[in-house]
Amino acid sequence: MNVALVLFLALQSLPPAMLAVLTAPKESPGTLFDRGMSAEESGETGQALALLEQAAALAPDNLRYGAEYRQAVIAEKAYDRSIAFFESLAAAHPDSADVRLNWGYAYVDKIPAAGAITQVILANTALTHFTEAIERDPTWLALYTRGNSYVYWPAIFKRAKLGVADLERAVEISEQHEPRRYYAHAYAALGDGWWRLGDLAKAREVWQRGVDRLGAVGPLPGLDKRLALDDQALDAYLKSQYAIGQRVATDLRELWTEGVEP
Amino acid sequence: MRPIDRPAPAGGSSRAARRLLPVLLLAVILPGVPWHAAAESAPGAAESAAAAYFEDHTTAAGVDRPHHNRSFHNPYARIMEGYTALGAAVAVADYDGDGFDDLFVTDSSENGANLLYHNNGDFTFTEVGKAAGVSEGNDATDASANALWFDCDGDGREDLFVVRFGHSQLFRNRGDGTFQDITVQAGLDRYLNSIVAIAFDYDRDGDLDLVLGNYFQPVNLFDPDTPRFFPESFETADNGGGVTLYRNDGPPPGSGPDGIPRFTDVTDAAGLGAHTGWSLDLGHADADLDGDQDLFVASDFGTDRFFRNNGDGTFTDITEQAVGIDTKKGMNADWGDFDNDGLFDLFVTNITDEYMREGNFLWHNDGGLSFTDVSQETGTYDTGWGWAGKFFDYDNDGWLDLYVANGWVSGGPDNYVLDIFQLIVDPDADLADARNWPPMGNKTLSGYERNVLFHNLGGTLFRDEAKRHGLDSIKDARGVAVADFDNDGRLDLFVTNAGAEPNLYRNVLPTGAHWLELLLEGSGANRAAIGARVTVTTAGGKPGAPPATQTSFVNGGNGFASQSTRRVHFGLGPADRAERVEIDWPSGRHQVFEGVAADRLLRAVEGKPRLEPLVPGGGSPTAAPARGTKTPSNPDPADPTDPADSTPGKTPKELAR
Repeated sequence: MNVALVLFLALQSLPPAMLAVLTAPKESPGTLFDRGMSAEESGETGQALALLEQAAALAPDNLRYGAEYRQAVIAEKAYDRSIAFFESLAAAHPDSADVRLNWGYAYVDKIPAAGAITQVILANTALTHFTEAIERDPTWLALYTRGNSYVYWPAIFKRAKLGVADLERAVEISEQHEPRRYYAHAYAALGDGWWRLGDLAKAREVWQRGVDRLGAVGPLPGLDKRLALDDQALDAYLKSQYAIGQRVATDLRELWTEGVEP
Repeated sequence: MRPIDRPAPAGGSSRAARRLLPVLLLAVILPGVPWHAAAESAPGAAESAAAAYFEDHTTAAGVDRPHHNRSFHNPYARIMEGYTALGAAVAVADYDGDGFDDLFVTDSSENGANLLYHNNGDFTFTEVGKAAGVSEGNDATDASANALWFDCDGDGREDLFVVRFGHSQLFRNRGDGTFQDITVQAGLDRYLNSIVAIAFDYDRDGDLDLVLGNYFQPVNLFDPDTPRFFPESFETADNGGGVTLYRNDGPPPGSGPDGIPRFTDVTDAAGLGAHTGWSLDLGHADADLDGDQDLFVASDFGTDRFFRNNGDGTFTDITEQAVGIDTKKGMNADWGDFDNDGLFDLFVTNITDEYMREGNFLWHNDGGLSFTDVSQETGTYDTGWGWAGKFFDYDNDGWLDLYVANGWVSGGPDNYVLDIFQLIVDPDADLADARNWPPMGNKTLSGYERNVLFHNLGGTLFRDEAKRHGLDSIKDARGVAVADFDNDGRLDLFVTNAGAEPNLYRNVLPTGAHWLELLLEGSGANRAAIGARVTVTTAGGKPGAPPATQTSFVNGGNGFASQSTRRVHFGLGPADRAERVEIDWPSGRHQVFEGVAADRLLRAVEGKPRLEPLVPGGGSPTAAPARGTKTPSNPDPADPTDPADSTPGKTPKELAR
């Protein structure tokens, strides 16, 4: 057996995140990320995934690198690849909250491609990793993410109360910072949680509070839409929004557009 | 898929109401006129704003004995009882040849009697199971799960196969109202946890073969020697009972005219042995119109399977090509041409509830053995935890409607979903081990769900009309048998319910869309003509007219826990005659009958040049108590069913293939 083959086999047995680090060119994570995005845009998917993994592995706390990597994974339907990658990245960086968030999102990303039972397992596993992220750093984003995940669960699982609790904390954190449009998602989800609990009046109160708080920043279509619907139409709308199995946007791109707050 | 572009029938509810008024007036003024006569005054008036078309006659008809679930006395009883809340089944056939369809209804409790309800001809039934010798289908080591009538020996009498968790039973119809257990002599004495059986001539050798769908592996459920007999996965389980194909080899040589047919297990040789899933239902049809019967297997805990008949006694699994691999809980397989394009489509129920949104499949046959699920587009996606789903034209408008039985276990206020959830999310759980499954106790799982009656709105969309017609029972329904029990041209329903009384719904469609009903008799041992395709063509142009051409076939027991009538039924709407009736017999013979008057029960005998009246009551027209059945008292010179008509050129054409 020649040396090259031994080396190749040794590399293949490494965790994906470590492999990405070891095989990364001597470039900065930012450069690797830019090259990965370019490769993705030009359809060089294999190259894009490798470069984005390298960028994310070298900068595990960069939420954006991981998020864009996952979008490339979604396009390739290579869901298990990103799950395995973030699992190994989490093992290498056990204190990183952002890695846990991306790991959880990787499970969420796979849900539309799974059967009805596997969807439950994926969603539940995602919640586990969102909780781990909160345990490490209870940011607005982490609390919003877990809270909104709870709201997706059908009422029979009685998780909406947990969601409302997370989302109230997320809104509370957001109100300590300069208003940004993406905070509207937390108000929307918190109201949705109250809807799930059967309290539409409370839901409308929360949505209106979001409009009052953030209306000056820019249009808030999610909140406006909810407030404009009568009870029956609202129920139908929210049921469609929370239909099991549909793809949930996890690209987080609004954050980079407006700038991330804690 | 091909676009489904047929427009909905013209006319809204107000238009229908305008048509209805003269019909009601006629009914009051002319009480003695058969209802079909009123129809001629109001063609196409099949819609009513509020009238219910069905009445519950369960008790009045004497068929209200409840079904009982099986209890177990083994270490796994606490979970077994929940997962075997099945076995409420019904099979329809005219076992005594008197012109009225009878009922065989199963129980599942250890001492529960299976019931043979003889149709008295007046929409009442008499239970004769014990006297007939077919009542003893349950004991300590066997539980009835289903039943199938099929003429195993080609003597023209319907024999009875009782499908069991355990040793199934084959009863030969002696022709005198009694039956002989021939299970052992027929080579069918074998432990299988079968849950469905259908019969068709898979190898086109002229007799009826038997296909069994098995749920569990052949582990003795009553005294299992292993705890590992539950599904290994919720979505990809391959450790079920699969299917068993028994070839009918006919009676042994020298056994004489009364020889008992022998059946041989040819599952592997026919290419069906690789399927080891949790079969729940089987459905056969000639999906590609090549003259042989293809097979669909609805499977729990994993993908359904589609087997193309190769025409040489073997099948090929073409699931991926035909319908794709799924992870759902397929529970029903009924074929019917819901959009009247000449190709048989397929309805499969799955689980759709708050906690799991699988959705049913309405597989539109695109041709070339390719199918597209149009359940979302047609509104048939969500019925609940579905069981049997049967195509039938309840309002005789020429479009196949769909009745779906729903609901798993209706228990107490606690929900079993939360228990099963803990098992689902446990990555280390060994699902195959029955000991790991949480007991159901009195908990509810998708219980109290309503049955659904989908009215076909022109082949593109269905609308639930169950509540209007009183068909929205919340019992834990299982099987749906469709038959015209009173020979009035209106299709009735018999619905079985687990652990509860069944429901017999009489169709009292008040307006008079026309219809045609055919009982086929084939040549050779497949006297029941299972697999025969019937195409009816009517003249178009009248308001509310159905499509010019409809296609149906004689099916050998399709649909979960329920075998419907062997007759083929066509709603003709305002058309008072069929311009053409074409029959493609399993033998390959093609016959055409022209100018067939509507509103008749007719018998088609393969090779005979004329359709014959199917006279209820043992052959005497005057014995027929049916309402609205047209007897041949008014000969139509242009009617090929009329024995007086011998005009050259009007006789049927026999066309070689």
